[in-house]
Amino acid sequence: MKFDTVIIGGGLSGLTCGIRLLQQGHRCAIVSSGQSALHFSSGSFDLLNVLPDGEAVTDPRRSVKDLIRMSPCHPYAKLGENKFGELAGESEAFLTGIGLPVQGDSMENHYRITPMGTLKPTWLSASDFAVSKSERELPWKKVSIFNIAGFLDFYPRFIADEFAKMGTKSDIHLFSLPDLDYLRRNPSELRSTNIARILDKESNKDELVRILGKVALDSEAIVFPACFGLENTNILAALRKAAGKPVYLIPTLPPSIIGIHTQQYMHDYFIHLGGVYMLGDTVKRADVEDNRVMRVYSYNHGNIPFNAGNIVLATGSYFSQGLIATRSRVYEPVFDLDVSYNPGREDWYNRNMFDRQNYQEFGVKTNETFNALCKGKVIENLYVSGALLEGFNPVKEGSGAGVSILSALFIADKILSK
Amino acid sequence: MSISQPNSAKLFDVIIIGGGATGAGVARDCSRRGLHVLLLERYDIATGATGRNHGLLHSGARYAVTDRESAEECIKENMVLKRIASHCIEETNGLFLTLPEDDIAYQSKFVEACTMAGINAQIIDPKEALVMEPSANKNIIGAVKVPDGSVDPFRLTASNMIDAKNYGAVVYTYHEVVGLIREQDRIVGVKAFDHKTKETKELYASVVVNAGGIWVQHISEFADIKVNMLPAKGALLIFGHRINNMVLNRCRKSADADILVPGDTISLIGTTSSNIPYDQIDNMVVTPEEVDTLIREGEKLAPILNRTRILRAYAGVRPLVASDNDPTGRSVSRGIVLLDHAKRDGLEGYVTITGGKLMTYRLMAEWATDLVCRKLNVTNKCTTAEETLPGSREKTEDINKKIVSLPAAQRKSAIYRHGDMAGNLSGNTEDDNSLVCECEEVSVGEVKYALEELSVTNLVDLRRRTRVGMGTCQGELCACRAAGIMGDTDKLCTKTAKEDLAYFLNERWKGIYPIAWGDTLRESEYTNWVYESVCGLKLLQKQEGQDEV
Repeated sequence: MKFDTVIIGGGLSGLTCGIRLLQQGHRCAIVSSGQSALHFSSGSFDLLNVLPDGEAVTDPRRSVKDLIRMSPCHPYAKLGENKFGELAGESEAFLTGIGLPVQGDSMENHYRITPMGTLKPTWLSASDFAVSKSERELPWKKVSIFNIAGFLDFYPRFIADEFAKMGTKSDIHLFSLPDLDYLRRNPSELRSTNIARILDKESNKDELVRILGKVALDSEAIVFPACFGLENTNILAALRKAAGKPVYLIPTLPPSIIGIHTQQYMHDYFIHLGGVYMLGDTVKRADVEDNRVMRVYSYNHGNIPFNAGNIVLATGSYFSQGLIATRSRVYEPVFDLDVSYNPGREDWYNRNMFDRQNYQEFGVKTNETFNALCKGKVIENLYVSGALLEGFNPVKEGSGAGVSILSALFIADKILSK
Repeated sequence: MSISQPNSAKLFDVIIIGGGATGAGVARDCSRRGLHVLLLERYDIATGATGRNHGLLHSGARYAVTDRESAEECIKENMVLKRIASHCIEETNGLFLTLPEDDIAYQSKFVEACTMAGINAQIIDPKEALVMEPSANKNIIGAVKVPDGSVDPFRLTASNMIDAKNYGAVVYTYHEVVGLIREQDRIVGVKAFDHKTKETKELYASVVVNAGGIWVQHISEFADIKVNMLPAKGALLIFGHRINNMVLNRCRKSADADILVPGDTISLIGTTSSNIPYDQIDNMVVTPEEVDTLIREGEKLAPILNRTRILRAYAGVRPLVASDNDPTGRSVSRGIVLLDHAKRDGLEGYVTITGGKLMTYRLMAEWATDLVCRKLNVTNKCTTAEETLPGSREKTEDINKKIVSLPAAQRKSAIYRHGDMAGNLSGNTEDDNSLVCECEEVSVGEVKYALEELSVTNLVDLRRRTRVGMGTCQGELCACRAAGIMGDTDKLCTKTAKEDLAYFLNERWKGIYPIAWGDTLRESEYTNWVYESVCGLKLLQKQEGQDEV
């Protein structure tokens, strides 16, 4: 099987890179073992929220030079300040361009609402989601918060109490539908994905509209758990029209409907552009000769190799098994690439879960153009993208999605310029 | 029955310090003999050595060669507990395995010692042993079957506590004793700090029983009395599923990591043993070396250990007591230590019960209660060896009938956890049947029951009573769901519920990070993303409480 580029990993980074390549007429395949970290997305993409010294970031494009100074191995440091800004701007156009509407920009973080009701800075949020420009207050005096009765992964009271602290009043409405009652009979079925399948149904729309009739007149907006839009993205618009006021979503605990939708949408878009997406397959090993990857082999295709001019490794971190930790080491399982990590296990963790965890900064070593290193040597046609990269802390910095998207676009451009 | 005034001078017959198995056993025994009892525990019940061991229902075989007296006590209590606490016990039986590197000659000595102590030890063919326990090392050259089992120490403690309360005992958890009140040559009460209200209370009783485990030394210092404890730290690992069905021991002199105990849905390997300074007893950290030792030795018993996911690592302190008659303090008394401080130190109204083992908690309680009764001229006889504990009073089939409306898997889990008290879930609605924790089949109804009836004040308490957050995912989503329910039931305000959630997750992490590699690290990374990134949760105050098991 011959391709211009084979991408290993079908999450946010792999799909971004693949779509970008296909848009320029490249022949491209993605090998994906299944779900990705998008499945527990907050509905927003973070670019840079906090510097390594703890200082909060309001303008990522301005603060990135401080980050580069503090973390010289950071993926953003490899991009450099100018390229970072350029790619951040392109990312916004890229997502909107393929049909994923987002709000926000890289010169000013806005604030998303967490499932706990608190505000957290972010870069781009799905356009249906409730956000605020301010860190301290919300754009409404009063809102109505809806939840499905008995749904355990969304917490109206947590949200209402945080809103009250910021001066926004709220009332809480629990509702049900006959379809939801049916779901409730099974003790483990009342979860976000199953609920979304019901709320997305056109046949339930009228009943939802009727339920919205309970909203107090002085409520300026209506808030729902983000259980809409798995397959049908039109229901919210209908509810907005019927209610005559904005209807926003707030993320639930995983699985994330917006994340699954994004993954599915990008997957479909990739296929629509002519990409080959091999779902449920895992790259097992590769032939590397003279610092070039010649062939890669997958479980499903046995001895039939993939031949490609370029390989992009976007297999994620531990969770997605792009990195494997054992009792004594951390390694990259496909190519056994050079991984930067602390040798002693006691240096991997902090005793306090909410402090910086070193293991999260371990990753594959690359050169300035994201070419992988293997035994100290650059592999010319192997690029590393996204969460697998060394030198950044997605949780503490709030940089996970930014690194995934920006490194993917950078690599795609690099490949296209060859 | 409860005291309304914090400084009430109301007199109890007996105040018991310590909410471990021993303290709970003393509370049960005293209250059944008609005494008015107050029990004080500084955290939740069963948080000391009681909650930090193998959960092994010893047959006594382990002590047969070296300590005949302990072995005899163990087998007697083993039979008592099987009768009175059946819902806390699994009669798994155990094997003592001889590996090629062990001396087979030890086996006959071992069997002889067991027989002398009254323990039914049968030599069986290694091939037969492997059929009985397929997880055992295939290379064994000898096997002896003994009546070991597993016991849930939390459930046992809670059940004793419930029985004591039924007989009028008052139990204050999160009350830390900060002083002993002395009048001339007599202890007349204690000062206790209430961690929830931040008040210090004075509480009075005719007799004070110190059942503080390793902490008895510290507590006795309030009365200028010296009780020398020799803290021995033991680390253990919990595996993600049940590897073995019988308890596996090495048939040799006791050493590191030579007991593998199945319990509920998991298996436990332990322990290491290292002496630690007394000032370190509240600082239990499991080191990478201890983890490596446990895996290295454990896989000799059951090779599959090496490939089994580990859920947690934890450590406890054995409350070993230095013999009174040894001025060096090095000689250890392994048996039960009952100190009548009137005789020993000329101080009336104060009794210490420590040493011993989880297995002998009831006997320890009986001895301590006998002494208290002598002091108070009460002649009622001990009934704790005959009367069954709450939870163990009805047959599983009868309990099943009461909660037949629950889904089958939940029914099974609820009966396993609560015995006949599972009947309390009979009124559950469809909403109540909704699962909070998929790993351990904990329903909304069970969480509500625990919140209302089982004195739960936070998520850690809830976990001990329901197993929320104890399964493979270690609280990934169930913790948040439970926090949501607590916030909704007005048990906690939402701010406290969120802080409690962060604290709970942090406590889970402390037991995870020593073994965080492979799939465990994958899961931890996910948990961290969900709670810190998606939810924006923070640990507000650095609560350096004890590490939870």
